[in-house]
Amino acid sequence: MGTGTIRPAGPAEVTARWRAVAAATGPADRAAAERAVRAAYRSAGLAGPGRVLWCASPLAAARAVLELRAQGAVSVREAVRTRPWEQERARLHGHLGAQGWAERWAVTGAELWTQTQGLAGRIRGAVLDTLAPEPARDADRAARAAAGAARATVRLALLDAVLGQHDAPWFAAFDADLDADLDADLDGGAGAGGPLAEAARQVGWWWPYAEVAVVCERPVELHRDEAGRLDRADGPALSWADGFAVHAWRGMPVPADFLAGLADVTPERIRTEENAELRRVLLEHYGYDRYLADSGAEPVHRDGTGVLWRIRLPDDEPVVMVEVVNSTAEPDGTFRTYWLRVPPSTRTARAGVAWTFGVEEAAYRPQRET
Amino acid sequence: MYRQGDVLIVPVEEAAVPPSAAALPGQPRDARGRLVLALGEVTGHAHAVLGPGELRRESGQFGRAWLHLPQGGRVVHEEHAAIGLPRGWYRVVRQREYVPGAVRVVAD
Repeated sequence: MGTGTIRPAGPAEVTARWRAVAAATGPADRAAAERAVRAAYRSAGLAGPGRVLWCASPLAAARAVLELRAQGAVSVREAVRTRPWEQERARLHGHLGAQGWAERWAVTGAELWTQTQGLAGRIRGAVLDTLAPEPARDADRAARAAAGAARATVRLALLDAVLGQHDAPWFAAFDADLDADLDADLDGGAGAGGPLAEAARQVGWWWPYAEVAVVCERPVELHRDEAGRLDRADGPALSWADGFAVHAWRGMPVPADFLAGLADVTPERIRTEENAELRRVLLEHYGYDRYLADSGAEPVHRDGTGVLWRIRLPDDEPVVMVEVVNSTAEPDGTFRTYWLRVPPSTRTARAGVAWTFGVEEAAYRPQRET
Repeated sequence: MYRQGDVLIVPVEEAAVPPSAAALPGQPRDARGRLVLALGEVTGHAHAVLGPGELRRESGQFGRAWLHLPQGGRVVHEEHAAIGLPRGWYRVVRQREYVPGAVRVVAD
């Protein structure tokens, strides 16, 4: 970065912009998206796809791709995506130096990496499990082999995808606004002004094949919690126009019918749920406070930081929680109470709260809390 | 130490800041010129520091973070009262929750 250069946007702004792209929903401007896809082919030195096949979801796209691959379609992902990517990385690496590039990544791409990777992984898993389910537990050897081969085929088809909006971490790191003194390579490449970035602003995943580009619309709904994890209790956390959907509660994958049953959860249902992860979802949904009251749980310990509770569960470690009251009043003047689960070995409320911040019980003495 | 919601800010001696922290890039300020300690993904609410200083953070969800405030500063949040911080170095810790077999961050 030259001194005195006017920088239109700093890394935090650029990262925020691409964070929004990664989380964008709703239909693409198809004409703009197709222009970008064709431009990406051209800058790779290819004639461009004869046609663009639009799909409503990654599931529909993966089905189309499996068919194309079976017919011998040739992926041009290497030329269209991977090579320009490497060039852009090398260009910035040369410009910034090894340490400069590492710093650039740390303040841009790395900020978005965990969320987008998690999202992409979840989508991949859902497509895979729908198109080629895991073999049943009691399946014989032949059935297992067949299921394994089917899953491998789907995985390979998914590897041909360009991740579009979920490549946001890379575009944040490549954003030309961060290098006003470096010529923006607008004609091609993976720079944030290039066609790959323009496609990412419009669409979800897309598959470049020599004759046809398979392009997938973005989801219609995306629900996340404050930590950015997929999260919805009354429907799919992520869904596409054709109904393909992913259900999750605070980031944890759950079956769709499981969520439908949440409305009439009872303490008995919670106690008898055999899957520990699902039981945790049931508990959180039911409300720890309600469950504590309904199950007659006794507070184990009480001090200046809050109250420690313990619920015994059959054949499982106990749920141990600290009940903490927010130090700042809500707009209506009340103080919100919340529960945090802590390790079962916790003996005091202070030890529990201290654990949530990774400090020793004796050291946990805030001078001020709000 | 100071606590604002799910963020704990622990004063540390400068000598206790590991040399590796000094090699980390300073976190960029947001469009409003603040140092964001923790960002709520959906509401956009943030625990953020106003005033001169630097935030150095290891990458990853549970990376350690150090805050240097040569002249002191204030940490603000849309839903919590602001806290004045004296000058010095701090370790910034995001609250976590126990999950059998794993640990996850808390978001308030």
